[in-house]
Amino acid sequence: MSLLFQPSPPDHVPAELIVDFDFFDVPEGLADPAEIWHGLVKRGAPPIFYTPRNGGHWVFLDYADIVHAYRDHSIFSTYQTPIPPIEPFPVVQPQGVDPPAHNVFRRLLAPMFTPIAVRAMTGELERRAAGLIDGFAAGGRCDFIRDYAERFPTNTFLFLFGLPEERLEEFLELANIFFRSTDPAVRAANIEAIYAVLDALFREKLAAPGDDIASAIVTARDDKGHPHDWTDILNCGFLLFVAGLDTVTNTMAYIWRYLAITPAARQYFRDRLDDPDAFLRAIEELMRINAVSNLFRRVTHDCEFRGVAMRANDRVVLPNTVANRDPKVFRDPDSIDLDREVNVHVTFGVGPHRCIGSHLAKREVMVSLQQWLHRIPDFELAPDQPPGSAFGGSVMGFTGLELRWDR
Amino acid sequence: MKVIVNLDLCQGHARCEDICPEVFATDAVEGKCVIGKPEFAPELEEKVRLAVRNCPEGALRILRTRETYS
Repeated sequence: MSLLFQPSPPDHVPAELIVDFDFFDVPEGLADPAEIWHGLVKRGAPPIFYTPRNGGHWVFLDYADIVHAYRDHSIFSTYQTPIPPIEPFPVVQPQGVDPPAHNVFRRLLAPMFTPIAVRAMTGELERRAAGLIDGFAAGGRCDFIRDYAERFPTNTFLFLFGLPEERLEEFLELANIFFRSTDPAVRAANIEAIYAVLDALFREKLAAPGDDIASAIVTARDDKGHPHDWTDILNCGFLLFVAGLDTVTNTMAYIWRYLAITPAARQYFRDRLDDPDAFLRAIEELMRINAVSNLFRRVTHDCEFRGVAMRANDRVVLPNTVANRDPKVFRDPDSIDLDREVNVHVTFGVGPHRCIGSHLAKREVMVSLQQWLHRIPDFELAPDQPPGSAFGGSVMGFTGLELRWDR
Repeated sequence: MKVIVNLDLCQGHARCEDICPEVFATDAVEGKCVIGKPEFAPELEEKVRLAVRNCPEGALRILRTRETYS
């Protein structure tokens, strides 16, 4: 397969399926970046359309089509999918590999992220969440993103990988450059730096394995009894580093922003601090309504999908936020119903590449909110602070979220 | 009544376990659904039905005790 990929010219795309849409472009003043997606639906965009922006790509808007694309890797591959195209792109393990090769690392990681495995981490997650919140609770204000939502997932990564908490600042800086820099040279140097840190880390764990995920990956054997390829090990570490940070950060930013402006929702969660079932059900609803990821696939061969001609190497964007508000699937989809009982949202995707860290992510949000409300039961947007700006792209979110509360 | 799971469809969302841990668990290898005892008590019926309706894969089915999965 050639790494030198050129986007197909859209001559196979009929004019009526072309919509000019740039999913990175969030107009100034728009409070919620997901609105650019919901605006498309309201304007009656075709359920499958093509935009020439960002190298050109398809967009699916129907729940059923999005789910189909996630499940059918014979048409919709995760191999080398960045939009706009960057090639070559690291083939992260196991996300960037189609089954059956995908199954090797998926099976290796899966036992460490099951609900049971994650439940066992609760005490340590609580301790780390409490430690961060105690650092600013008495001050009466914080930038939620800088002071908590970026730090907690990174801190959790240190825990998973058996790294000392003293290295938090170092990993925060690596992550911030990775997610925020748009300078290609800075980005390239940053990816190199992350790989160098992972390489050193895995070598340490190989020499002295501990009870952590990095050690489990580096000491694992394939079905022939050999260690895994070193590049695959590094690529797997890279995925685990980047996949659980930005997504969790911005999901929490969305949720805390909603809570800050919705007193009844704060009350709802405060009343259920001792009712984990109801607490989790309500978090599930906030995960549905605040699906931050828009995921990419690459068409494997020339084909027709739902009567639309697609070509090999066409890119597809699957906006989970749109699927999660499909009125054909969800009753009253735009309203937030914290008691919603049937909630088949696709915030974590479905199919072979369904987010392996979903149970951990949910647990991180749940633990964070419990620890937060115990210490800061009431809070609001800081009125004297400029609101952070919103950004679009593969993960949507905010650059800042200033909160205040009575000390 | 009993509830069964089609493991070819199950992707490990574990919504069933969240909703009705009395009946559903997940295996420690892939996080897929495990039903220790498919026959459940009548007082759990409502929760089991809610779990079935919440499965994003449609992988769960309630059977009358004599029916078999096809």
